Amino acid sequence: MSQGNEARFEEIVERLVELKDTSELMIDLAYSSLFLKSRDLAEEVQRLEEHVDKLHTDFELLVLQSEFKKEEARGFLGLIRLGVATEKIADAAAQISEVVLRGIEPHPVLQLSIREAEETVAYVSIAKDSPLANKTLLEARIPEETGMWILAIRRGNKSVRPKPDTKIEVGDVLIASGYAEGVEDLKKLSKR
Amino acid sequence: MPSFEKVKYRPVPVRDLFLEMKNLSELMIDLAYSAALFNDRELAEDIFELENRVDTLDYLLEMTLMIAARDAHDAEALAGVSAVASAADKISDAAADIAAIVTQNIGVHPIVSQVFEKVEERLMQAKVSGESSLVGKRVGELDLAARMGVDIIALRRDKDWIINPQKTEHIRGGDILIVRGVYSGIKEFKKMAEQK
Repeated sequence: MSQGNEARFEEIVERLVELKDTSELMIDLAYSSLFLKSRDLAEEVQRLEEHVDKLHTDFELLVLQSEFKKEEARGFLGLIRLGVATEKIADAAAQISEVVLRGIEPHPVLQLSIREAEETVAYVSIAKDSPLANKTLLEARIPEETGMWILAIRRGNKSVRPKPDTKIEVGDVLIASGYAEGVEDLKKLSKR
Repeated sequence: MPSFEKVKYRPVPVRDLFLEMKNLSELMIDLAYSAALFNDRELAEDIFELENRVDTLDYLLEMTLMIAARDAHDAEALAGVSAVASAADKISDAAADIAAIVTQNIGVHPIVSQVFEKVEERLMQAKVSGESSLVGKRVGELDLAARMGVDIIALRRDKDWIINPQKTEHIRGGDILIVRGVYSGIKEFKKMAEQK
């Protein structure tokens, strides 16, 4: 592999990781939109679906433009197939969120617990002086401090799937679910 | 030609069917990436098994919904359940597509697996031999997470799959365990399970 191609390859891997993470995040958010009866979350899923469509096209173009050797063709086909699967997963998530957006009164079987029916979804953006800024989710201890659960982090036009080592950045919008009391606590932590 | 099981209606609560489809399809996604990135045929075969199971559950669920709808109002609400279940089925199909990358000998370019190896935990299956020291032990008493950084996330016993087995579940010879963890840990665990 030539040097220019190596950089291109890094980009391919990066896009694939983003496709994988985003499609999995979408599944989580789609079910949450259903269980929490949240139009906002359902719309977030739809927005991500558009993002994934674009990302997937970029990814496929990058793969096709890379100058792979003949013997690498199978490995590259595998990459393309993986990309197609992430797109299919994203579609399935969009299909779930569509049930919410069509205003179908969710059947009780789609409500896992009473607790979830009472919870709300909150969006809080992280101010410069917030004590949460530059902490990882593990360090931030948001569920312990506020009772709120982080569903996703919106960063620019991307959305990040929360993992313990995900770092909270200034300007991030945290999408969280929990009881109404917790929302106020989380808002306080995000400002200050 | 694959063989297809005839699905006969039996009364199962819709919620149970739906939850099992949801849990299985999500497990399958994790299994599928591990299978593709580490070229793991055993895992790929498990995914095809699970895919069949999800298909069967979907049929049962659709039948149950049809019987449950008594009027237009019911039909409207249940159509939503049907749409969500078919999405779970679609997710399991996507997982099977990923597994096929392995079984059709296509493979994924190694540079990608190298990257994932660093960031992702890996899943693996281990078949418990009759002689294994695991036989007769409860999942909880093994203390796997603390000892080797391994979690048992699913257990297959004959045709049944148990997702997230309880701590009190006894391990039997012939069980197939799906474990998640760092590579060194799951490798050690597999050896323990398969010891002769």
